[in-house]
Amino acid sequence: MPMTQRWPRLKRRRRLAGGAVVEDCWWLIGGGREHGNPGVSLSRVRREMAPFQPLSPLRTFITMYAAAISVALVGGDARPVRVEAHVGRQHEAFKLSGLPDTAVREAKDRVRAAVASAGIRFPNRTVTVNLAPADLPKSGTDYDLPIALGILAASREMPDPRSAVVVGELALDGGVMAGSNALGAGVLSARGRVPCLVASAAAGEAASIPGARVYGVGSLAEAVDLLRSGLDRCDPVQPGSWAPTASDADLSDIRGQAVARRALEVAAAGGHHLLLHGTPGSGKTMLARRIVGILPRLEVPEAVEVAMLWAAAGRRRGLDLTPPFRSPHHTASKAALVGGGTGNPVPGEVSLAHRGILFLDELAEFPRGHLDTLRQPLEEGVASVARRGMSVDFPASFQLVAATNPCPCGYLGDGRKPCACRPAISGRYRSRISGPLLDRFDLIVRVGRVESGEYSGPPGEPSAAVSVRVAQARAIQVGRGRLNRHLVLGSETRETPGAGDLVARAVGNSLLTARGGDRVRRVARTIADLAKSIEVEEWHMAEAIGLRGEWRDG
Amino acid sequence: MGEPFLIRPEDGSYPAGLRDLEAPPPLFVIGETSASPAVALVGTRRCTSYGLGLALAFGRALANAGWITVSGLARGIDAAAHRGCLDAGGEAVAVLGSGVDIVYPAENRDLYQRILQGHGMVISEYPPGTRPDRWRFPARNRLIAAISSAVVVVEAGEKGGALITARLGAEVGRPVLAVPGDIDRPASIGCNRLIRDGAIPVLGPEDLIAELELMLGAPPRGSAGGNGIIPASGVLIDDLPGIWRCTPAEALARVARMEIAGQARRDGDLVLPEPVTRVRGKT
Repeated sequence: MPMTQRWPRLKRRRRLAGGAVVEDCWWLIGGGREHGNPGVSLSRVRREMAPFQPLSPLRTFITMYAAAISVALVGGDARPVRVEAHVGRQHEAFKLSGLPDTAVREAKDRVRAAVASAGIRFPNRTVTVNLAPADLPKSGTDYDLPIALGILAASREMPDPRSAVVVGELALDGGVMAGSNALGAGVLSARGRVPCLVASAAAGEAASIPGARVYGVGSLAEAVDLLRSGLDRCDPVQPGSWAPTASDADLSDIRGQAVARRALEVAAAGGHHLLLHGTPGSGKTMLARRIVGILPRLEVPEAVEVAMLWAAAGRRRGLDLTPPFRSPHHTASKAALVGGGTGNPVPGEVSLAHRGILFLDELAEFPRGHLDTLRQPLEEGVASVARRGMSVDFPASFQLVAATNPCPCGYLGDGRKPCACRPAISGRYRSRISGPLLDRFDLIVRVGRVESGEYSGPPGEPSAAVSVRVAQARAIQVGRGRLNRHLVLGSETRETPGAGDLVARAVGNSLLTARGGDRVRRVARTIADLAKSIEVEEWHMAEAIGLRGEWRDG
Repeated sequence: MGEPFLIRPEDGSYPAGLRDLEAPPPLFVIGETSASPAVALVGTRRCTSYGLGLALAFGRALANAGWITVSGLARGIDAAAHRGCLDAGGEAVAVLGSGVDIVYPAENRDLYQRILQGHGMVISEYPPGTRPDRWRFPARNRLIAAISSAVVVVEAGEKGGALITARLGAEVGRPVLAVPGDIDRPASIGCNRLIRDGAIPVLGPEDLIAELELMLGAPPRGSAGGNGIIPASGVLIDDLPGIWRCTPAEALARVARMEIAGQARRDGDLVLPEPVTRVRGKT
């Protein structure tokens, strides 16, 4: 047996060094050689330990350390996490530090089982794994693979993965499954110009980040083999392709509703916040769901940003260029809406809807406190989640689309079916949407009932045709540097005197509030953009005022 | 709901048609209508589905053509006529046999409320609070007949209020129209007899409108009351592009200008003219 043969040699070394600890490390040199471990030469040890001169060269056999880079998603961005593994000389133990959550802590068991399944010896010594920076909370299962590789490298079963970014969840049979951080690994790989190792199931996704060098592995054994043979000698995965998802919800499904369709087009063109109100069954929800189909598709960097936010919430979005559409239910908690959660804060619906649509159906049913938490993201495009010791800002620049009935029974103002609510009740219902929130909607549109004749009418204009006009209007805004939703009034709006006079009169006879007037002027700019007009003419302003239909306080 | 108010025959707003009566009674009124011509659409309470469907269709057709529909808010044909008219956004006048604040039968309360939500008026010669006694109903039929420019009987049996209305209408010189039915159907006997006696047969909604316009001329379209642009009964904003023959964008702009100028206001689905010629109170 080679191992027993080598044993006395090591004992001799111990005597030479005069240390008491050397006998523990006999397997570090000899062990694993049958698994292809080239062993560690004394010269290499000396070279590597140069910075630690005070230690005797022999001590390096005991101080066995390796590290792999993994990923943590903080505020929707990928941050490197150094997965350090140290194999000590004490009795068998497995310690994990660096603020792991339960899922990370359970990696111990998965790693041990997966290593065994891969036919590799797990060190029967003290294994310490640290996830640095140690004060950043870690969560999820994506640290399984880097922990396993770090330990195996520390125990010299394989070469150090060095700078490679590694993510992946381990199955007990040694398989590697796709977690949610593959995209983050791709981002780090591209940013640091380093290779990355992810589950083959997620490799296309990670490789789709421009500049990433991605290797997919199906199992732990495959990963070890890959590192043993050297990443440079293998071919990286071909990138997946980004594409918008096809939707079967098309604007041509909507018959009649000329005004609401126009409002949808204007809202999409300028990224304006839109409130739809009207009687039940008038098609508010149907309309709102079709706005995604006329929005311009995301650019790849934008789609990456969105997908990263989704990943931070534990969701895989794939290579989708369609702007996200989120419609949280009115029973959703505040944390679900704006982000939160224990430990590592998780982005909420406002961030999942980043660069897309946040649709709040039955707006008045949302608790008022919840709606008020939307104000910060609406103003700043960021949702801040403050925790003791850390505060995370998630991007949350979304377009708000909301729908509501005018009163609890829904028929106030129907003109055909009487409203069954007492005036005080419908007044209270309306006041649940606070004035300041109402002022943040650029367009407030009454969706009229559909006359029976319109059901059988000709299909409306398809989404594809509308989206062409929307894209042209957006192109004009790109030249201005911002969406019309964020427009600076005055210099950028370029109103004719007639247009300015009209909105001033509307504010003067309190048809609009002052802030409502500002909203209208931005919408007018969008209407002018849709008409490819350099200046905002009087009729653009008039239409914008018309698109801020009545919504009185009962 | 608005307060009832009294109109005397010498008042300018007194319905001109009622002056044809021998003794025009003072009227208690809630609500208001435009000055468009009115057509009485009456029939039996014990109606068939044939009559019900036709009453609905005629009510709609009259409303679409700009006529005011007059009926008695009774069960059956009357209710269907009102409903058809209101569904099409027309103006309705309900002539009651009780006080204007008493809804009889109670099942028609929804119609009563819809009429008073700015879609017409309720009138009666009896003071508010008067209970619906049987004998008062034939008497109110003379008001229905006289206030209208024509009387249309949709379905009537051998005898009943509708035939009385037709006779009273003929007495004050109103053309009488009747809808023919199967000769062996009891609910159509009255109508068929009216036709035999000289009433004009009505062969469908379009036929009715054509006949009325032939006899009485078309009502001023699209400007029934209101401010000459938007009818008093209001208009759906989604319909405006079609009416004005413009794009939705132009229609929105035009409405906004009218709002700013105080010529129109938006209320729910409707665009209403301003100032509203509502007689009293908010409905």
